[in-house]
Amino acid sequence: MRRILSRTGYMILILILSSIAVFYAIRLSGGDATAAALPASTTAAQREAFRERLGLTAPIYVQYFQYAGRILTGDLGNSLTNNADIGDMLIRHGKNSLILGAAAFVLVFAIGIPLGIWASVRRNRAADQGIMTFSVTGMAIPNFWLALLAIWLFASTLHLLPSAGCCELRHLVLPAGVLAFEGIALTVRMTRSAMLENLGQDWVRTARAAGLSEFRVIGKHALRNALIPIISLAGLRIGQIVGYALVVETIFGWPGLGQVLVNAVLRRDYPVAQFFSLVLVALVVIGNWLADLGYVVANPRLRRA
Amino acid sequence: MTQTTVDEYKRAWEAQLLAFEDSQHRGTIQRLLQGARRNRLVIAGTVLGLVVLAGAVLGPAVLGSDYESQQLRNIHLSPFSTADLPDQTRHFYLLGTDHLGRDVAQRLFVGIRVSLLVALGVTVMSMILGILLGLVGGFSGGWRDRTIRGVTDFVWGFPLILVAVLFAGGLGEGLFPVVLAVGLVNLAAIARVVRGEVLVLKEREFIEAARAGGFSSGRIMFRHVLPNILAPTFVLASYYVAVAIIAEAALSFIGLGAQPPLPSLGVMVAEGRNYLQINHWESTLPGITIVLMVLSVSLIGDGLRDVFDPRLRHEAKRMES
Amino acid sequence: MSEAVVVDPVLSLRNLTTTIHSDGLTFDVVRGLSLDIYPNEIVCLVGESGCGKTVAALSVMRLLPEAAQITGGSIRFKGRELVSAAERDIRAIRAEEISMIFQDPLTSLDPSFTVGSILKELIKVHRGSDDASATALALATLAEVEIPDAKSRMDAYPHQLSGGMRQRVMIAMALVLDPDLLIADEPTTALDVTVQAQILDRLVDEQRQRQMAMLLITHDLAVVASVAHRVAVMYSGEIVEQAPVDQLFADPQHPYTQGLIHALPHVSARKEPLYSIPGRVPPPQFTPPGCYFAPRCPFSIEVCWKDHPPLEFDGDRLLRCYNPQSFASL
Repeated sequence: MRRILSRTGYMILILILSSIAVFYAIRLSGGDATAAALPASTTAAQREAFRERLGLTAPIYVQYFQYAGRILTGDLGNSLTNNADIGDMLIRHGKNSLILGAAAFVLVFAIGIPLGIWASVRRNRAADQGIMTFSVTGMAIPNFWLALLAIWLFASTLHLLPSAGCCELRHLVLPAGVLAFEGIALTVRMTRSAMLENLGQDWVRTARAAGLSEFRVIGKHALRNALIPIISLAGLRIGQIVGYALVVETIFGWPGLGQVLVNAVLRRDYPVAQFFSLVLVALVVIGNWLADLGYVVANPRLRRA
Repeated sequence: MTQTTVDEYKRAWEAQLLAFEDSQHRGTIQRLLQGARRNRLVIAGTVLGLVVLAGAVLGPAVLGSDYESQQLRNIHLSPFSTADLPDQTRHFYLLGTDHLGRDVAQRLFVGIRVSLLVALGVTVMSMILGILLGLVGGFSGGWRDRTIRGVTDFVWGFPLILVAVLFAGGLGEGLFPVVLAVGLVNLAAIARVVRGEVLVLKEREFIEAARAGGFSSGRIMFRHVLPNILAPTFVLASYYVAVAIIAEAALSFIGLGAQPPLPSLGVMVAEGRNYLQINHWESTLPGITIVLMVLSVSLIGDGLRDVFDPRLRHEAKRMES
Repeated sequence: MSEAVVVDPVLSLRNLTTTIHSDGLTFDVVRGLSLDIYPNEIVCLVGESGCGKTVAALSVMRLLPEAAQITGGSIRFKGRELVSAAERDIRAIRAEEISMIFQDPLTSLDPSFTVGSILKELIKVHRGSDDASATALALATLAEVEIPDAKSRMDAYPHQLSGGMRQRVMIAMALVLDPDLLIADEPTTALDVTVQAQILDRLVDEQRQRQMAMLLITHDLAVVASVAHRVAVMYSGEIVEQAPVDQLFADPQHPYTQGLIHALPHVSARKEPLYSIPGRVPPPQFTPPGCYFAPRCPFSIEVCWKDHPPLEFDGDRLLRCYNPQSFASL
């Protein structure tokens, strides 16, 4: 229990530190951030006023606290591109990203774990070789190319699924599949190696010596221990999904947080870029925290006597 | 008389036994190389990698590295075709041309160079720095270790693409934010692994023995610890090279990495995206190239892990017994 | 007038051969092993590490790892042939009729489950009991092996118990279904010296109370002397001598046995250097052409180097030697 509290405290600390890091990162170039946002015809005075309005004239740490204060009171600002309320954007796009992310997450483990177990049980035989080959090549295919392939195959050629858009189930299939693909390949390998390591352990031999069926030996005793690294991997997978979603959402035109962020960066829309960077970073930090927690919860050996 | 016969038998047996045992033990490096040579993964990966490397090095030298000039009369040519240039010469397009009439082959090889530069070059540097950091953290302990640990634990878990986008937000587009992101995350990951290994190794008996023998910390670090941490570091580094290749390509694809006309493989795929029906080679070729590059790196990494792991375990057992 | 009652052995190994594939090599670890175990007796299988005793035990239970197979011989248990039996039949026999305890209790218990749940699972799978009766039986057995406060210990995880405790749990697992034969593979080697005696006493007690047969595998002759009824000495995959325990210690015949006994440290007024048998056990991949012990034997003669000696009867003893000498001449 104490461990859980300390990991949580650590996570909050990291959240604060990362918000500072993100804040500074956006201002790395040091140059005039507003130059791209304003049309060329504005005068220097108008620029100065604009900057004042955005609070960019104060020293950076002051800006940070002002910003933090505003965020915490719910004033998230507006987009420089179309003046939309960032809070609205968060809700609208956040919902979409959540759906996509959750779908991909479920796919990764619902497909990856069974395949991994099967490969470990049929070690070095045809099924195992096939699954491992798929897994190795699967990890080598960049997801954007896979996305193009999928679009070409399912949309342009077979006309089975739409190539882009939102928000029905048929729009979700391809992006979720592409997003999950690399995760599936990785999960298969991790599950297989964790299972193989466990199948060689003494306690599995004891379980067999007790006359338990192979199904129980593998499905209960070996698997339970193999799940320990896999569960902590699940938390990290959240971070990975967040990262890849940036690309996948852009390609498939799925209007989620990732797409918003990428567009904001390309268009120098600073308020949007800053806030959504924070959101995504926070998601990653929370994911890593869940991974830590998961490891502690899943592994009885870490419980104190 | 019988006793001397028995003695002869005894001596003959001892000799045979010694010969047999000698044949079992070989020097560590020889064993490693033997393992590597026998491992099919490493062979396949290395062959593939060498092919790609050759392309990167020789390609521009042989074909030229003109990735920019457009020949609008020769657009969308398929591979292995020849066409006329404005100056009346004929040019052989090994891999055809893209939608702007640029030579795909030349762009491809330059693109490979870009990918390799970012992935390999940066990874090598972050490996060196990461090992140093990990060694310092693992050995010194105390606040130095805690800071290093805190920072690396935090950075390591971040998806590379997100970090790169963050830097792109601050620094604008281009390869520099990508390089920075790759370097940072690799550095953190390697430092973390090295630190973990150092902590484990510190407790092992042969380190105690070295200390008792009066060797200085520095000497212990380099002669005893370093060889043992190199193994997992190489495996990890190979994984990150693969990740870096994909990340750089992905970022270039969505517009945040290399900027046109620089022919990063990702950019090429992006630009060819609209012409899939007319001339799919424009996107397919760079895509396949990326897959081959990542595959070769992954295979080498996997093979290395296979080669190192059993050896490590056997060495450990022999030391302990 | 008394008639000798002929009793059939509980376990009968004949010419058992187990082969291992490792690193591209194939070699026999157990070669032509023959051994009988009768009801209600303790047989000790003695030998140095690497002589194949653990592999022999695992062969009986068909618990060999993938790299190893039984390639010859027969294992008869209560008249049934085990080598060719179906997997399902073997599973029914395990823990019910033959049970085994292993050397390292820490790694032999699944760390993700409580001790109680492991024990109860065993009971439920074999007996089909409901939770209440399984719990009752588990508690009773844990109490029997002298685990204090069994009730709360049931909810403990293996890593929360001491080594001796864990081994008691393993013994409970092995006894709970009242098997006819218990195989104990070096049950005390991994434990503290003080705990070793307790565990051994418990095992002997259980054997006596339940009147079961026990095969105790060990490399420690002191354990053999205090516990065994009969002793089988194993070297390089085969039995080289077998005798009732008193006779073995009073009059060891095989030079290897003599070496082992001589190597026992004993308290004496004179300060003598410890004796150890010269040479090393030959690696299983590379064995001498004749008797496997010849290179280390002080009494070897020519025939020992040319022919492999067979195992021969001598009253109620077995001996595999061409040139046995009396112990005193060492």
